[in-house]
Amino acid sequence: MSGNNMRQYAFFLGCIAPNRYPGIEAAAIKTSKKVGIELLPLKGASCCPAPGAFGSIDLNIWYAMAARNVVLAEQMNMDIALICNGCYKSIYEVNHKLKHNDELRDGVNEVLKEIDMEFKGTVDVWHLAELYYDPEIVGIKKLADSVTRPLTGAKIAVHYGCHLMKPKKERHFGNTENPMWIEELVAALGAEPVQYRNKMQCCGAGGGVRGYDLAHALDITNEKMINLQEVGADALTEVCPFCQLQYDRGQIEIQEKFGSTYGLPVLHYNELLGLAQGMNPDELALDLHAVDVEPFLKKIL
Amino acid sequence: MARSKNYQDPKLEEKLKDRKYYATDSNPDFLKEVEKIGQTIAHMCYQCGTCTGSCPSAPRSSYRIRLFMRKAVLGLEEEALTDPDLWLCTTCYSCTDRCPRDIAPTDVIMAMRNLAAKRDIVPRNFLQTVQLIYKSGHGVPNNDVNRAARVKLGLEAEPETTHKYPEYIPGIQKIIDHYELKAKADRLVAQGE
Repeated sequence: MSGNNMRQYAFFLGCIAPNRYPGIEAAAIKTSKKVGIELLPLKGASCCPAPGAFGSIDLNIWYAMAARNVVLAEQMNMDIALICNGCYKSIYEVNHKLKHNDELRDGVNEVLKEIDMEFKGTVDVWHLAELYYDPEIVGIKKLADSVTRPLTGAKIAVHYGCHLMKPKKERHFGNTENPMWIEELVAALGAEPVQYRNKMQCCGAGGGVRGYDLAHALDITNEKMINLQEVGADALTEVCPFCQLQYDRGQIEIQEKFGSTYGLPVLHYNELLGLAQGMNPDELALDLHAVDVEPFLKKIL
Repeated sequence: MARSKNYQDPKLEEKLKDRKYYATDSNPDFLKEVEKIGQTIAHMCYQCGTCTGSCPSAPRSSYRIRLFMRKAVLGLEEEALTDPDLWLCTTCYSCTDRCPRDIAPTDVIMAMRNLAAKRDIVPRNFLQTVQLIYKSGHGVPNNDVNRAARVKLGLEAEPETTHKYPEYIPGIQKIIDHYELKAKADRLVAQGE
């Protein structure tokens, strides 16, 4: 359809973005269009499936289920773009493993044959954030040029999450001790990125731990909240809706369980980009956030 | 020391029970299975403890990834698979990125969880995710509040997934049924009730 320099990707949605924070989905589509990326529906996609919950029970089923999602994109002859670190682990990693391990691929294809599908290994998988950072695709300059309402004066901390960059030897992002590339993406919006202690620590939700032992998961989150509070961040941003859920709803749960209150707004990078490109809060469904985003909006609007 | 003491008081028998490991406690195949499923060289572990030192779960619980690594190498299958701490790994991969022996302790844990699941040891929440995905394709399915919000945003009430195209769900069910996982999840969840 759009031959005018738009790069097209099959948009893998996952679960939590479309079904809990739909503003992330809406923002991803609209904001990407303004920087030359068109996200097309990946019809019939499912849960990635959840690497912690599913992978823990049987890695072979996890491979097969994730492969089915990849095959849907292969049928469109299109690379996948996605917006969640958990999905990235499933979709990127399984795609990569099956491309390079014949035994695994044959095993998966035996199962997929039952539903008339075959994994061929013809597409690649990307997180939208890495496409934004890549100067060949979008790059910081183009991103900054798309900003119509700079987030000037806002101090924003970054949570990288785990499964986008780690394990580093199965990824291509380099250093995982103190990366700064998402801070660059934040600075491109006119905001001031702030550093905090133990930035790369997990949000606490992964591996099925949020469901298995909520207090344990929240105690990890709370440690991050203490470190974030120390540096006076106005908001936390991330590129993973599951981390977002853990920080956003988690702050309410932390209040109930531990009695600590933070009130730190948590926004997916695409929601932040949407605001910076002039989208209104009601175009982002920010009212679905558990922690009131209003104090942050007052700062930037 | 005697492995069984036949004390009259079962509480004392338990309190004072022999906690040494014996060669017969070890299953040498356990390490091989863990390495095969986890695709990592667990036997190279020299117990430096960088993994536990990097672990977000360690400082707030008795979970010690280094201990699980040792149990893998020693073949202490029973000990490892029945320990509830096995399920406290958030799979953050910090230990994996820092391991000086280039092992992936996270994937050792994943392999052990797979082996525990074969023995029907799986926490409920993991099984419930399977049931949800079997039914709807999503581990976190849509709901009415969210549908209304989606429509207000100009999105369709159902996302372009199995939610909007339920005709894709039977394919997903076939994959899960191939491994008989739904039946297992139903059985274990029912047992827990």
